[in-house]
Amino acid sequence: MVDAAPAPDQLDLPKAQSGLALRKLISAPEFGPLVLVVLEIAVFTAFSPEFLSVLNISNTLTFTVELGLIALAMTLLMTAGEFDLSVGSLFGFAPVMMWTLYNAGLTSLGVAFVVSLAVAAGIGLVNGLFVTRLKIPSFLVTLGMLLVVRGTALFVTDGFPQRTWSAGGQWLAKTLVGDFYIGPFRVYASIFWFAAAAIVLGYVLTQSKYGNWIQATGGNPTAARARGVNVDGVKLALFVLTAVMSAFAGVISSIRTSAANPNSGSGYELEVIAMVVIGGTALTGGRGTIIGTVLGIFILRVMRNGIVMIGVPGLAYNIFIGAIILGMMALHSWLERRHQTGT
Amino acid sequence: MVDFLVRMERINKLFGRVQALEDVNFNVARQEIVGLLGDNGAGKSTLIKVLSGALQATSGDIYVRGRKAQIRNASDAIALGIETIYQDSALVTQLSIARNLFLGREPIKGPRFLNRMDTALMERVAGELLKRVGIGKTIPATTPISSLSGGERQAVAIARAMHFDSDLIILDEPTNNLGVAETQGVLRFVRNARDSGHSCILIAHNIHHVFQVVDRIVVMRRGRVVADDIDPNKTSVAEVEQVITGEGLSV
Repeated sequence: MVDAAPAPDQLDLPKAQSGLALRKLISAPEFGPLVLVVLEIAVFTAFSPEFLSVLNISNTLTFTVELGLIALAMTLLMTAGEFDLSVGSLFGFAPVMMWTLYNAGLTSLGVAFVVSLAVAAGIGLVNGLFVTRLKIPSFLVTLGMLLVVRGTALFVTDGFPQRTWSAGGQWLAKTLVGDFYIGPFRVYASIFWFAAAAIVLGYVLTQSKYGNWIQATGGNPTAARARGVNVDGVKLALFVLTAVMSAFAGVISSIRTSAANPNSGSGYELEVIAMVVIGGTALTGGRGTIIGTVLGIFILRVMRNGIVMIGVPGLAYNIFIGAIILGMMALHSWLERRHQTGT
Repeated sequence: MVDFLVRMERINKLFGRVQALEDVNFNVARQEIVGLLGDNGAGKSTLIKVLSGALQATSGDIYVRGRKAQIRNASDAIALGIETIYQDSALVTQLSIARNLFLGREPIKGPRFLNRMDTALMERVAGELLKRVGIGKTIPATTPISSLSGGERQAVAIARAMHFDSDLIILDEPTNNLGVAETQGVLRFVRNARDSGHSCILIAHNIHHVFQVVDRIVVMRRGRVVADDIDPNKTSVAEVEQVITGEGLSV
């Protein structure tokens, strides 16, 4: 079973065991990201004691899981050798659609929720069909879809945010992002959705036969097809999954912030892909890790939060993110080469 | 009448206006090793792809064990007991040996709907198979294919065909890029396959390799079968070369 949220103390565990376990840990693709996230937390805590405050941790976690849900699905899609640039626009579009339906009095919120996820699934399916049937690279297909979906959201709403404050008291809102306190911690229900998604998708990728098919699809589609794996089916399913997860994350975010802005989610696609790649999933497909992605999510969110906390201007955020991406890519390629030479 | 394992009748394959296969008849008997020869572009690969489900024939019939068969994709062919080992071994380099061996037919443990792979079983069986093809001593079944040599990869592909007990094993240029010892290993495997009840189709550019192991040689030229019953014991390599290039005598 996959551990969805690896605790930093996992690092200390194998030291008690044999040196072999330690070496295995170090050669794992998740090791680099793990060190980085621990390092980040240590540095930020040293500079700003506020960093580990209860309020800050619960705030960071809350927003983290919303992007994280997309990153988890994207991990599987990228392992299968494709990626999706339309996730950010779906993140904005799905809640706009849900609230428009609800506010117009057409349906209940629950039905509107299901309808918007179903539409997202349809959009994912179209992405997948363009890629698998017409053999157009996913970069171009999903770039086009990004513009179509974002444009639709803007057109439908005239560019204005949708009213959402009637969400209070709705069972749906409670289930998705209801908050409660564990001691001083304010916890949103969305973190459980994230944990559940991480466990399920981690299981699918590493333990189930579908995980083997996903990796084979990204690694060598010709070989996979020759073994009877339905390569196109795998890709279609993952495009749909990614689209639905993006819509789901968007709805969660809109309920939490009480705003359905047609512009929200802009630029998320690149941040999500960065999270996945930093975690150790290959951009070219064939190799993916959910644990790495969870770490990658935290690396970027902790960085965004931490540099603000220690007083670096927020506008400088991208400099650090860019540096992290370059650094991690260098590390992954170095590890890969060392691995290839058979050490 | 010979008891044919596979009978392909009047197979035609058109790519647009190009006729890659023209009225090809091709048979393989039980426990027979057939060498399929021909120059580049003669249609060998196309014929094999039709049989292994990678391509669909434009017209023509395929009979397997005397019954008419529909081979629409690779799964159909595998289900009929036809296993193909391609030039590039068709392995996923990122995956381990065990995961490659069972790709598409992973054993499941626990409840059906969880689709949980039985990794312990996969690794145990893979280890035994690797021993049978002679590379089990040094390489654990969890090794990714990317760290194997060309010969080792070919051995993994062969181990896969052996395990799933295919009646017909198609080897497409199995000795390409292999060292001398590795080539001998592959040829030994082909000979053993016949003894253990398998049929083989061997495609190779190297006529000498083909001569060493096959029972019968079929030659293709420009999409047609030009000779289909050459006995390697009664024919010389030079004669077969002439048939392949179409120079000198016409058959």
